[in-house]
Amino acid sequence: MKTALVVLAAAASLILTACGSSAEPAAHASAAPSCPAAWQAGWTKLARQIDAPVYCPGWMPNPLDGRIGSQWNGLRTVDKRGGFLVSFIYQETGSGEVHVNFHRWPGTRMPHCRAQTSNRQIPCYSDRAGRVKTHGIEATLYTVSRDADQWHLSYLWRANGATYVVSEHVAPPFSFAQVKRNVTRVLRSLVLVPSQA
Amino acid sequence: MKLTRKQVLAGAAVGALGAAGAYELVDQLAGASPPRAAAGPLPPEQHVLDGVRTITDNGVEVAVPPLHHQVVTARVRVDAADLPDAARALEDAFADIERRYAPTPAGLGATVAWGLPYFHRFVPAAWHEHAPRDVRALRSALLPARRFDSDPDATILEDNDVAVLLRSDHLEHIAEASKALFEKLDLFEVTSIRKGFAGGGFDGGAGLPKQLAVAAGVPGAELIPDGSELFLGFTSTQSQGLGPRKIVNFETLGYVDLRSGYFHGGTHMHLSHIREQLDTWYQLFDFDDRVDTVFRPGLRVREGTQTVRQDPDDVSTRAQIARGFKTHRIIGHSSAIQTASRLQADHVAGDGTVYRKGTAIPHRADFNTLDNPFFWSARPTVDGMSEQPSAGVHFVVFNPTSDDFERVRNAMDGVFPGGARLKIPPRDAGQGFNSVLETTHRQNFLVPPRRHRSFPLAELL
Repeated sequence: MKTALVVLAAAASLILTACGSSAEPAAHASAAPSCPAAWQAGWTKLARQIDAPVYCPGWMPNPLDGRIGSQWNGLRTVDKRGGFLVSFIYQETGSGEVHVNFHRWPGTRMPHCRAQTSNRQIPCYSDRAGRVKTHGIEATLYTVSRDADQWHLSYLWRANGATYVVSEHVAPPFSFAQVKRNVTRVLRSLVLVPSQA
Repeated sequence: MKLTRKQVLAGAAVGALGAAGAYELVDQLAGASPPRAAAGPLPPEQHVLDGVRTITDNGVEVAVPPLHHQVVTARVRVDAADLPDAARALEDAFADIERRYAPTPAGLGATVAWGLPYFHRFVPAAWHEHAPRDVRALRSALLPARRFDSDPDATILEDNDVAVLLRSDHLEHIAEASKALFEKLDLFEVTSIRKGFAGGGFDGGAGLPKQLAVAAGVPGAELIPDGSELFLGFTSTQSQGLGPRKIVNFETLGYVDLRSGYFHGGTHMHLSHIREQLDTWYQLFDFDDRVDTVFRPGLRVREGTQTVRQDPDDVSTRAQIARGFKTHRIIGHSSAIQTASRLQADHVAGDGTVYRKGTAIPHRADFNTLDNPFFWSARPTVDGMSEQPSAGVHFVVFNPTSDDFERVRNAMDGVFPGGARLKIPPRDAGQGFNSVLETTHRQNFLVPPRRHRSFPLAELL
């Protein structure tokens, strides 16, 4: 413990003295995202099935891809009202989990989930932690997520009379900070896929 | 020359006593020590810390604790026959420390507490004659530590002879005192060294808990609110939540029969280490959930509030807690423990001081730590030592007796004085705090008055 803390002190001192520098690349706010050709068909099919626009990711965290039907695509569920959940997940004992969810709920009300301690319905997302505006999306980041998004950092936004969410599980091998960067990058990479080609 | 294991351990402990490790960061992050009031003459009590500054947060007066804390536990390594000499040597060392440092955060608060193994092994007859007795519980005022409903089975109940608590805004004061007591004197075999920090965010900025936890890579650390005094995001040292100066003294509340009076001015100390799962706390409990479970269900405060008023008038009754539990299936930590930690009626002490109903009793001296579970241990395997820093608290609290501490700790689990019990499983999410806490070690100690602090009762042998 002592050794670890000494190393930690040294590392943190370096961080402290390096304040002002940044490891973040320059923002590419103006670069228009694009949906990779191999991923396009699945999202277009989903949009047509629910008869509502969806968002195709232009980027996904390693090792995931964003192709519905790929080896990483865990869930693809739709409901009769135009809602869906599409998840991509990599999970391996000992090396961690990379898990990204995409949701759509019809309507612009905050989705509700069951509380941990009772049958009470409570907001599925809470504890706002910032906003991001990108390519026509104004999303709010939530640090507390429930149900399918439990343990996730979630961006929620409203568009086309619906509520959309993209989220990523905070779990090794990624740190909280890395997951936040990941899910923000996924958000910035989204491309609107209309229901009518 | 080949060293024995004991010599190697002793050497390692000496090195660890003066080492600061990550806690050096506390000084870098906190900057200059906060302004402190000067101390008066030395009080008869060891556990009282003078010169503590207060600030106001959210309209509530809050005490600013010392930045640095250290607890050293040990076994006595002298023979019973040598105790009187050992007592003189230890007292001289404490007196020297007191000449150099006022008993304040700007100087050094030094408190030595003794465990049952010391009294039973070294001074059993004198202990039998002078041991303070809890007349409310009809038991000794100093009991062996026990596990509580929400404790894991693995919680270690310790058997140290002695624990020394050192508190200061200055690491070097703690290091010098540690060396004076445990390196220069050959009286003790150190069993553990526990280090940590408190506060640091009262004057703005991110605060020490967040900055240190982030630097250590503790999961969930990024979600600690800026300025928070504790890892868990709320303030624990508001003045109304801390017992008045002498309330925990054995003689004050009438809980204790002091018999010969030898321990008049003394008190009881509980020491435990508790791990805190920050990622669970901040990702499965939202702000309202955290307020519900830390204070009381249904309480609404402005989002981001860290200091929530806990005046005597804010204390919940047991009936209110039961109603809240029935409605929300949640126990509020503060409201539950206040059924035992606050005076249930006015009390006039022997010195004429009036303590009003609702007054807080315990003196808290707990501090944040990244130790996992300790900074150093003589039994690393037994104690479960890990190189991986972990958010936690070294929970140090002064209560009038072991039973009084147990009443408070039981109430935290929904078990109230008199035996009434809320039907909630141990560590259920509705217990909020308890579901993210894991107690690794516990022990109770007796804190003698300053005049008898060095090997108490040894002079009667």
